[in-house]
Amino acid sequence: MFSSFSFYEKARNKEIVAGLSLISIAVILNIVFGYFAMMFALYLSFFKWDYIGEMQFVGLKNFEIVIRDLIRGLHGAPYLLSPFYTGLKNILIYTAIVVPVQTFLAIVLAAFANQKIKGQQFFKVSYFLPATTSSVIVALIFIWLFMKNGFINFALAHIIPGFQPIDWINSREYLLLAIAIVAIWGTSGHFMVSFLAAMQAIPKEIYEAAMLDGAGPIRRFFFITIPMLRPMIVYVVVMGLIGALQMFDLAWVMAGANGGPGGAGYTVALDIYNEAFTRIRPGVAAAKSWFLFAIIFTTTYLFQKKYGRAMR
Amino acid sequence: MKKVLVGGLLIFALLFAVVASGCIGGQTQTPTGETKTETQVKTETKVETQVQEKVFIRFAGWSAGETEMKNYERMIKEFEQKNPTIGVKYEVITQMFHENILASFGAGVAPDVFYVDSSWAPIFIDKGALYPISDLADQSFIDKFYPFLLEPFKKNGKLYGLPKDWSMLALFYNKKLFEQAGLTKPPETWEELEEYAKIIADKTGKPGLAIYLGGFNRYVPVAVSNGAPKPWFEKPEDASWFDNPVVKETLAWYINLYKKGKIEREQQGLTPYVVAPGDVGAGWLGDAFGQQQVAMVISGNWMIPFLADQFPDFKYGEDWDIAPVPAGKSGRVTMAYTVILGINAKSEHPQEAWKFVEFLLGPEGQKELVVKAGQTLPSMKGFENDPDMWPQHRKTLSFKYDDMIVFLWGPKSGPLEGKFSDAMAAAMRGEMTIDEAIEVMKQVVQEELSS
Repeated sequence: MFSSFSFYEKARNKEIVAGLSLISIAVILNIVFGYFAMMFALYLSFFKWDYIGEMQFVGLKNFEIVIRDLIRGLHGAPYLLSPFYTGLKNILIYTAIVVPVQTFLAIVLAAFANQKIKGQQFFKVSYFLPATTSSVIVALIFIWLFMKNGFINFALAHIIPGFQPIDWINSREYLLLAIAIVAIWGTSGHFMVSFLAAMQAIPKEIYEAAMLDGAGPIRRFFFITIPMLRPMIVYVVVMGLIGALQMFDLAWVMAGANGGPGGAGYTVALDIYNEAFTRIRPGVAAAKSWFLFAIIFTTTYLFQKKYGRAMR
Repeated sequence: MKKVLVGGLLIFALLFAVVASGCIGGQTQTPTGETKTETQVKTETKVETQVQEKVFIRFAGWSAGETEMKNYERMIKEFEQKNPTIGVKYEVITQMFHENILASFGAGVAPDVFYVDSSWAPIFIDKGALYPISDLADQSFIDKFYPFLLEPFKKNGKLYGLPKDWSMLALFYNKKLFEQAGLTKPPETWEELEEYAKIIADKTGKPGLAIYLGGFNRYVPVAVSNGAPKPWFEKPEDASWFDNPVVKETLAWYINLYKKGKIEREQQGLTPYVVAPGDVGAGWLGDAFGQQQVAMVISGNWMIPFLADQFPDFKYGEDWDIAPVPAGKSGRVTMAYTVILGINAKSEHPQEAWKFVEFLLGPEGQKELVVKAGQTLPSMKGFENDPDMWPQHRKTLSFKYDDMIVFLWGPKSGPLEGKFSDAMAAAMRGEMTIDEAIEVMKQVVQEELSS
């Protein structure tokens, strides 16, 4: 017979009750704000809607709008007429700059922080500090630094003789680069912590054995540290890809909703926002979101498949 | 196995109960209302009977600062005292106001009364989101407002909102820089505007005029004052507005203001006579003017409280003055910017909401919220000589214009304004030719208004 007393008596049941109730909050939040939102976006992508009136089924028309935008962009239409293409192009360039640099920089910073030198704690903290600051605040500060008569131009003019000050934020050529620099500055410290943890988990014996075999610090770094970090590198690159491809906050603050001069700072995420709330086409916005999701999913999947498994 | 299942079910039942109770808590508004009123009217003994009949309406607006919020809170309190059966919940949405309101419509929780900017009004009116005010208000009340401010909010003979206040463009000029340049009066025409800007730059070393890069709505008065029709884009064919020779000519002039006044002048090694605020390290026109980096800007009434607040040593009358927007060949035209108080068409209490709107927009409300606050102009006639009106604002009201254009270009005003401005900015910076920019603008109209 079943009684509540005997049910809770069993240690196994207790564990299950405790376990399920502990994860339940996270699971429910994830279902409501993650999976439900995702499925609703898929549903929405087949409808025409203006938030106020009734939803109207339009089949694949929203996806057609996105594809037509891409085709037009490939044929060289100005950015105002092919916003999605512009956003996609920019975000791919941005990702190609940010992800390799931030990963490399994070490894280097972690290697430094892992040394037994005086004030090592100070460096760890100062590298990580940007990660604790809101990206909007970081972007606002960098707008000042990047101004035509701002600090960055001032410093560059002192380092490079004959340097002409660049109007970073208002220039079509440099805006995306400026945003990428801010992103690298802001995220490298965050990923450094991941690498630092992974480095400290590498068994000392391996280094000792290598030292006995006569390997110097540089060879030890390239032939032991880097290969042992490989799973973490894959993780950092994947997280970096996901973050970079859906970048919104920095572009919003530094370039503005319309992407700044010539749409140089326009991203896919900005376009999704504009589609949903400026042009009032949430269906098209949802279709674009699914496009972005497909791109992020395939790139990270391919990367994981190629590099993620080979370990061990 | 069975026990595990039962255990799992128990947990879910428990969680469901928690979530459900949370939902129920959210729906019952009366208890929360009750506690609120109890704290507000502590001395009254018969609170309960009042609460039974009390209706709550939600009022959403953005905020032009803490003073405005406090003014509204004070007026709401006054309203609640006069109408003990109506409670008002004031919700301030500081950023992306209309987007928030749209999303709240999507979720079915839109407020009963909310601000609607003129450029967003067609979206709300066309989709039936606004309750027709003309069904609630007396005609005599509506007649008290400036008629041109009501035009954009009419559809099929019904009026969908009443403006809470408004602003218009005017020419702000720095008297000291004018004196230094030997100029005695503000420019009367667009040609004079450019000419004076040049004289000031040559004589004082400071740019004469600041304009925005882009800024389609700032260009429109130039076109219309030279004889172009008012821009209105409802269907793809309306792109032909850009084919009008006057539009082509004036648009080229406006874009060239920056190309010639800034880019070419700098290439020649001369002081630019036209700049954008960013070129002089300012955030916007008001900032550039207040810092005395430029001698003239064409901006709206919102600049007046900003200058008084941020640049108290830069005094109206002594250091700077206001003049009408320069005239074109066929008259003098300015832009008007307004915000209405809309009532949600799905509101359960439209009568109560109207009572509240009537109170805020009536003479009493406008006196407190607009005239005394000094942020903008009252939308009701009859305050022109009010002693409480700031002299700067009074002066803008005294100017005579042949036409006032309310900021609204048809159902897609927002996206069109943004994209037109981007194309104009690209042409101003020289990334596109003027003809290319006009072509892009036409295509944007066709793109946005097709389907």
